[in-house]
Amino acid sequence: MKLSACRLAEQIAAILRKDFLIGIRRRATFAAMMFFALTTVACLSLSMGGVSLAPNFSAALLWLVIFFAACAGISGTFDDEANSGTLTTLKLYADIQAILFGKMIYVFLSLIMLAIFIVPIFVILFDVDVTSGGVLIATIFLGLIGLSAAGTLTAAITVSATVKGGLFSILLFPITLPIFLPAIALTETALTGTGFDADLLIVMTIFDAILITASSILFDYLD
Amino acid sequence: MNKLLIVMTLAIIGAVIFLVPPVKGMGEVAKIIFFHVPTAWVAVIAFFTGAFYAAKFLRTQDFSFDTLSARAAQIGFVFVLLSTISGAVFSKLTWGAYWNWDIRQTSIFILILIYGAYLTLRIAVNDEKIRAKVSAVYSLLSVLTVPFLVFILPRMYFSLHPAPVVNSSGKIEMDSIILIVLLAAVVDATLIFVKLLRR
Repeated sequence: MKLSACRLAEQIAAILRKDFLIGIRRRATFAAMMFFALTTVACLSLSMGGVSLAPNFSAALLWLVIFFAACAGISGTFDDEANSGTLTTLKLYADIQAILFGKMIYVFLSLIMLAIFIVPIFVILFDVDVTSGGVLIATIFLGLIGLSAAGTLTAAITVSATVKGGLFSILLFPITLPIFLPAIALTETALTGTGFDADLLIVMTIFDAILITASSILFDYLD
Repeated sequence: MNKLLIVMTLAIIGAVIFLVPPVKGMGEVAKIIFFHVPTAWVAVIAFFTGAFYAAKFLRTQDFSFDTLSARAAQIGFVFVLLSTISGAVFSKLTWGAYWNWDIRQTSIFILILIYGAYLTLRIAVNDEKIRAKVSAVYSLLSVLTVPFLVFILPRMYFSLHPAPVVNSSGKIEMDSIILIVLLAAVVDATLIFVKLLRR
């Protein structure tokens, strides 16, 4: 089914709206993701007695928290439809690409909210000095784009799996490593203000684009 | 084919024990490199073979390609473990530590994680058709990370790993023996992989 770009955009918007409405009505997934992140940060900070860490540790911990909280929040992206048996119907009404991109944008916006919530808390609890805010924001933005693209496809992959919780993270981690390693390095430079490597931002951008393209191509085969 | 492989493997083991001189300053145990290099090689080609058959499955929906893709991953998983362990032993001899997140160690560990994730996904999905589809998609998705990791890892980790050809001393005739045995071992391991894949 070939659709005009305008029609596709309409369908994406409709799916996005549907997911937001469901998300607002049943706040469980969203609340779980936020509090999972908060619990992890509190747990780390408490167990270390509130000491401030070296920038490389802070950067790695921040991304670990974001990764696992994101896993908790987005692993069930397709579960609502799968559990109620409406995924097939949804595929009849909307183009499969519209479903993918609608979900992907929803996941991305949820992760942005997660970052807005957890990064300031992390900065306060670990007493982190952010020297270059711009680099930090760009890194988080690019990191979350890749995480959303890979996460949405992984959620579609695991929708029929018998074990879900652990499986989602072990599948997602290796394919998002090309995002995490540069993201951690860039976050460290954002904290120290030295050693900024623009190539890593370019690598993240290219890998984001590849993940989005690959998700779009491979999602067709999951139909 | 079977007999030829057994003879070849035994000949290589014999050559490693009797023909190859001990590596200077590291003794006989360093000869584990003749096991490490071929297993690492197979671990990597099995990964790409798996992805190749995954792509063929998605194009043709022929389940025999899914079987081949899964088998490549199972063989690859065993070989990547063997390679990691033998590499760690060699690392202890040369660098003094079993593990130090060298680039090669990091990449081989990522390969273990990918194989592990892929095989776990396969046992977590009961429906045969869905299992074939989702594991093929995951296999192709994981291949995409390779060129990026090849670019990123050397920027973030310092490598002590030797160049692909082991050099025991300056003498050319010794090097050529080592090189021939090593290449023979790599060919032998590749043939074992092909044999296991097509069984």
